Amino acid sequence: MAGLESFLSAIGGFVISFAIIDVFWATLLGIVVGMLPGLTATLGVALMTTLTFQMEADRAILILICMYVGAIYGGSRSAILLNIPGTPANAATSLDGYPLARSGQAGRAMAIATTGSFVGGLIGMLALAVVAPALAEFALSFGAFEFFWLAVFGVLIAGQLTALDDPLKGWIAGFLGLFVAMIGQEGIHAVPRFAYGSTDLAGGIGLLPAMVGAFGFAEILTVMRQQSYEVVRGKVGSIWTGIRQAVRYRITAIRSGLIGTFMGLVPGVGEDMGAWASYAAARQTSREKNQFGKGSVEGLMAAETGNNAAVPGALIPVLTLAVPGSAPAAVLLAAMIIHGIRPGPLIMIEFPDFVFSVVAMVFLATCAMFVLGLLLTRPLLLVLRVTRERLMPVIFVLCTVGAFAIASRTFDVWVMLVFGVLGFILRELKYPMAPLILGIVLGDILDKSLRRGLVLTDGDLTPFFTRPISIVLFGSALLFIILSMPGTRRLMARMLGGRRDGDGP
Amino acid sequence: MKASRMDRLDFVSAIVLTAFGIAVLVESLRLPRLDHLNVNPYTVPGIVPGMLGAILTLCGLAMLIRSILRGGWRLDLTADTIGGFVRSASVRRVALVLALTLGYALGLFGWLPFWLATMAFVFAFVVATEAMALGKLPPLPNIAIAAAIAAVTGAGVEFVFERLFYVRLPG
Repeated sequence: MAGLESFLSAIGGFVISFAIIDVFWATLLGIVVGMLPGLTATLGVALMTTLTFQMEADRAILILICMYVGAIYGGSRSAILLNIPGTPANAATSLDGYPLARSGQAGRAMAIATTGSFVGGLIGMLALAVVAPALAEFALSFGAFEFFWLAVFGVLIAGQLTALDDPLKGWIAGFLGLFVAMIGQEGIHAVPRFAYGSTDLAGGIGLLPAMVGAFGFAEILTVMRQQSYEVVRGKVGSIWTGIRQAVRYRITAIRSGLIGTFMGLVPGVGEDMGAWASYAAARQTSREKNQFGKGSVEGLMAAETGNNAAVPGALIPVLTLAVPGSAPAAVLLAAMIIHGIRPGPLIMIEFPDFVFSVVAMVFLATCAMFVLGLLLTRPLLLVLRVTRERLMPVIFVLCTVGAFAIASRTFDVWVMLVFGVLGFILRELKYPMAPLILGIVLGDILDKSLRRGLVLTDGDLTPFFTRPISIVLFGSALLFIILSMPGTRRLMARMLGGRRDGDGP
Repeated sequence: MKASRMDRLDFVSAIVLTAFGIAVLVESLRLPRLDHLNVNPYTVPGIVPGMLGAILTLCGLAMLIRSILRGGWRLDLTADTIGGFVRSASVRRVALVLALTLGYALGLFGWLPFWLATMAFVFAFVVATEAMALGKLPPLPNIAIAAAIAAVTGAGVEFVFERLFYVRLPG
C-alpha cells in the first residue's frame, strides 16, 4: 500500500511540476533516435546524460528513462519500414514487420508494434514495482563473496547470451571490459594501475565516453561501411485495424511481457534477448507457425512486447544490485550515481521513494510512447528520409561534444575515439559490445569484492564456494560454461536427436 | 577444409589477444605489492588484473587452437586479395570517414572556435561522402544543403551546450 501511495504521489508530483512536458519531448526525441539507423538507445541515453547532468536528479532521470523507452520503441519503425532495426533490440521485429510493410500494411504493423510495446512496458513496470523492493531486501544478505560471484556470473551470462553462436567471444569481450575497469587508481590502497605516469589514465576510463565511443562512433563507422538503405514507399494502410488485431493476441502479449521482463533482469542481456526469446516462445506455441518470418502479426507482437518489457526489467538489477540489465541501463546507472543516488541493496532504506518514482517515470514514458506512436505515425516517416551522409556528421559532433561535456576533458574525447575504433573492429570480428560495457561497470565490484572477501577469510577460498547464494551463482556460472562447450553441445544435440528419432512413428 | 574469412580473422585476433593477455599478466606482477606499508597480501593491487591477464591469455590460446584446427592459419595474403580489400567500396568509405572524423576530433576540435571547426567538418563530411557515393562532385543544390546543415549544426550545438546547458566548449 505504501508503494502504491509513493507511486501515485510521484505521478501527481510530475503532473503538477509540468514535468509532463519533459515526458513528451524526451519520449519523442527517443523515438526519433531509435528510428534512425546508427543511433541506438544506449547512445541516446548517454548523450542525454551529458546534457542533463546539471539538472535536478528526478528531472534528469525522468528525461533519461523517457529517452530509453522511446528509443527501444522507435527502433521498430525502421525495422518495419527499412528492414534495418533502428536499435539491436528491434532485430526480431524486422522479420515480420518488413514483410507486412512490403504488402502495403505498414500502418497496421506499426500499430501492432505500438500496442505490443505499450503492453510490454506496462507488464515490465508492474514487475519493477513488485520485484525491485523484494530483491533489494533479499540483496541485503549479499556480502563480498556474493557480489564477486554476481559480477562473474553477470559477465559470463551476458557473454553467452549476446554471442550465442560463439560464447567464447562474448566472454572475451566481458573480460576485456573488466580489464578496462582496472585502469586507474584502485579503490583500496589508491595505487594507480596501468597509468604509466599519466594523470588522466590514473583517473580511470570514464564509462560514458567509452559508451559514446563503443555505441556512437563505432556505429557511425558500421553504418557508413554498409550499403545505403531505402525506405518502403507507398501505402501505409490503416492504423486502427492493427490495434484491434493486437487485442486478439493478448495471451502472446502477456507471455512475451513476462519473458521480456525476465530477460531484462538478467545482467547485461537486455532488450535484444527479450525480443528474441519472446519471438521464439511465440513461434513455438503458435497455431500459425508457417506465418512466422512472412508477416506474422503474432511474431511482430511478441518481439515488440518482449523488448519494451525488458526496459523496466533491466532497471530492477540497476536499482537493487547496482548491476545493469542492459547497455542503456548501464548508462542510467552511471547517471544515477552522477546525481547522487546510490543504487544497490540499501536503496529501499536510503531512498525509499525513489524506486516507486522510477516506476512512475516508466509509466509516464510508456503512456507518452503509446500516444505519440499512434498520433505521429505519418509525420515520423519523414525522419527516415534523412540520408546517412547528412545525419552521421551531426551525430559525430554530438559524440565529440558529449564525451567532452561531462568533465570538460580532452582526454575523454580521445577515450571516445579509441573505444569507437576498437568497438568497430571488435564488431567486425563478431565480438558483442554489451558484455564489454557490463565488464567496465562490474570491474570495480569484482575487484573490491574479491580482495575484501580474501581479507575477511584470511586467504581462505572456502566461503566463496560454501555460502548458499555463492553456491547458486558459482554453480550457474559453471553450468553456463559447460553447456556452451562444443563437446557438450554435440552430446546434447545427439541425445535430443536420438530422443526425437525414438519419438517418431 | 577451406577456412572461412572469420577463421582467418580469428587466427590474427587470437594472436593479438594472447599477447595482450600476457602483457597484462606481466604488468600486473610488476604492480607495487606495498610490503613497506605492511598491507594485507590479499589486497595487493595486482591480484585481479593478474587473474584477468591469465584468463585473457587462456581465452586467446583457446581461440588460437580453434582457428588453427579450422585452417585459419592459412591467411591467403596475396597481392590480389590485399588489393581487392583496399579497393572495395566499403573499406574506402570507412577510410574516408575515419580521416574526416579523426581530423575533426584531433585536429580541429579545441584548436579552432567550436562553431567554425564544426561547420567545416560537417560540410566536408557531407560533400565528400556524397561525392564518393555519386562518383562525382554532388550537384549545387546538394552542396547548398550541406552548407545549411553545417551552419545549423555549428550554431545550434554551440547554442544548446553553451547557452542552455552551460557547458564551456573548447576553442
